[in-house]
Amino acid sequence: MSTPTAYLLYAVFALGGVGLYFLLPRGRDTRTGAGAIFGLGALAALLLVLAARSVAGSAQAASFYLFSALAIGAATRVITHRKPVYSAIYFVAVVVSVAALLVLQRAEFLAVALIIIYAGAILVTYLFVIMLAQQSGEPSYDVRAREPLLAVVAGFLLMATVAVRGSEIPDAPAPAPRKLAYLTGSGADRDAVRSPGEASPGARGAAPASNLRQGAPGAEVEESNTLALGAAVMTRYVVVVELAAVLLLISMIGAIGLSRKRVPAEGPRADHAPLGQVGKEVAPY
Amino acid sequence: MREFLTSQLGVSIVLALVVFGVMQGVVAYCIYFERKIAAWTQDRIGPNRVGPWGLFQPVADGLKFIFKEDVIPGHVDKPLFLLAPAVIFFVGCIGFAAIPWGGQWLLNGKLLDIQVANPDIGLLYILGVASMSVYGVVLGGWASNNKYSLYGAIRATAQMLSYEIPMGLCILVVVLTMGTLRLEEIILPQTSYWLGVIPQWNVFLHPLAFVILFITMLAEANRTPFDLAEAEQELVGGYHTEYGALKFGMFFLAEYAHMITSSALASVLFLGGWHLPWWSWTQPEATHLGAVLAKMLVLSLKIVGFIFVMMWIRWTIPRFRFDQLMRLAWKGLIPATLALFVLAAVLLYLGRQRDPAWALAVNAATLAVCLLLAGSRRREVTGRAANLPAVPAPRAGQWSAA
Repeated sequence: MSTPTAYLLYAVFALGGVGLYFLLPRGRDTRTGAGAIFGLGALAALLLVLAARSVAGSAQAASFYLFSALAIGAATRVITHRKPVYSAIYFVAVVVSVAALLVLQRAEFLAVALIIIYAGAILVTYLFVIMLAQQSGEPSYDVRAREPLLAVVAGFLLMATVAVRGSEIPDAPAPAPRKLAYLTGSGADRDAVRSPGEASPGARGAAPASNLRQGAPGAEVEESNTLALGAAVMTRYVVVVELAAVLLLISMIGAIGLSRKRVPAEGPRADHAPLGQVGKEVAPY
Repeated sequence: MREFLTSQLGVSIVLALVVFGVMQGVVAYCIYFERKIAAWTQDRIGPNRVGPWGLFQPVADGLKFIFKEDVIPGHVDKPLFLLAPAVIFFVGCIGFAAIPWGGQWLLNGKLLDIQVANPDIGLLYILGVASMSVYGVVLGGWASNNKYSLYGAIRATAQMLSYEIPMGLCILVVVLTMGTLRLEEIILPQTSYWLGVIPQWNVFLHPLAFVILFITMLAEANRTPFDLAEAEQELVGGYHTEYGALKFGMFFLAEYAHMITSSALASVLFLGGWHLPWWSWTQPEATHLGAVLAKMLVLSLKIVGFIFVMMWIRWTIPRFRFDQLMRLAWKGLIPATLALFVLAAVLLYLGRQRDPAWALAVNAATLAVCLLLAGSRRREVTGRAANLPAVPAPRAGQWSAA
């Protein structure tokens, strides 16, 4: 990336930072109008910089700009909205927009996994907690941002590093358009699609990866994105995946241990016990 | 224009419009059938005033929804109150996009998919869309600013999140068996026959997964016996207590749309989708217009069958208590489906995933182990007995004579 573009990007991020600084809630002094003007200006400038760099004009580019603008706008509202429930809803909007961006990058599996896991499960739990906690009134920590200046500066540094360093990576070659298996396949291929188990009885007992590929339709069709991702996760990155799984399991057990109430097996009921002893008399599992 | 209409994109757009339009009518008539089936079950006649056999009742209901005053109560959180029915309706409608309705159509020498979209991850797309429908419930319940609505929303959320897990695992069993996430490719292997007569439907491979999937479908659609989110006796109307007119109608339509989508998905996964055994028109090789219509008819009939069973269950099985509901999901269905999933993976490793004897043996073994474990363990005391005050333990020197 050329140096002028980098300085242009820094300027755009600075502009966005100023807008964000004004938008962050500070009680009655929040300058929403000024923040909105700076923020929209920064967004427009960013899109212009990006558009000048890439081939503009295609429908895909239009979708990209639309969804990235949506994602950035919604992300701004996540941290600037005063009501936590609305912040959570805007977070959902961010997740859905990012999923759309992933679809544009032909990463359909990641997109849908993002929606199922984040939007469908984790954020619902957030929302749930927020709703139970926030029945009425706005506590001070929602009305007033604690360290707006520091937060904006830190965000600027992070964004500048990530965007400018990240854009130095050369563009990947555009993926070739995929063919639909049974649209293009001949009759023999369609038979192979219909009975993957019977098509190659000799492959029984072979390595699981090759078993997975039996399901792949037709030989002349290139490997689907999902299949390639699954193979990579289960072969090349299998240790990392297993580590992540163990980490999640540990955190789950920790959460259960922390939240478990003292339940005496026998004797007086729990509500007669003196206060301050929660968790002490839990019998081991 | 003519070229566009006969291209894949044109077919997709026309199909999207047709499916969306037909679905609204079908959903309205679902309500009519719900009332008729309720009436038959209870030895009544049911709606019979509007038109012959009451057939215009849904039209009258729809007009009533539209022309009623659109009340927005005070004290509600207005943006979210308006967003909730829109979200649930939108999500209920876009799930149809990945359902393969009628195989392929040979038109002007080109094979066209009778499917709005055929993404690589069709199955996951439907799952993702279904998992978003919980937002309509949660937002509607919270924005109403009403305790009953909030309770309904909380119950619905906990229930939908819990039952999504066994549902996903059941679907994964099918994915392991078929080796694809494309719905059309899940149907194609099911159209062959064992011994030349028995269709290779997945229900004959994994009947246990099919039954559990059906149970979780009931729970995901908030149908009886899992309709705690709108238990009238406890919560007035649940999360849509404060809604009226067309906004309530959208919640209603979304529930039936959800039922239709999940029925279509279950038909595709386990009952061969548009395949009817021994009818040559519903074989994948048949690609003329009549075959397409026949396949659509077959899939629709399967969906109607599912919906009839759901309505039948509604008037047969009483509602669960909430702790029973949670226990069924977390202690019953999730371990069972997890075991089935692991065993299906083992079958895949052995290359026996489409072998009926092995698959049925695995299902029978899982069921037997579940029943043995359930039968051998002491049943917990729940409900009223658990809420009785405990007898205080005797202190030293007290009641020693007893």
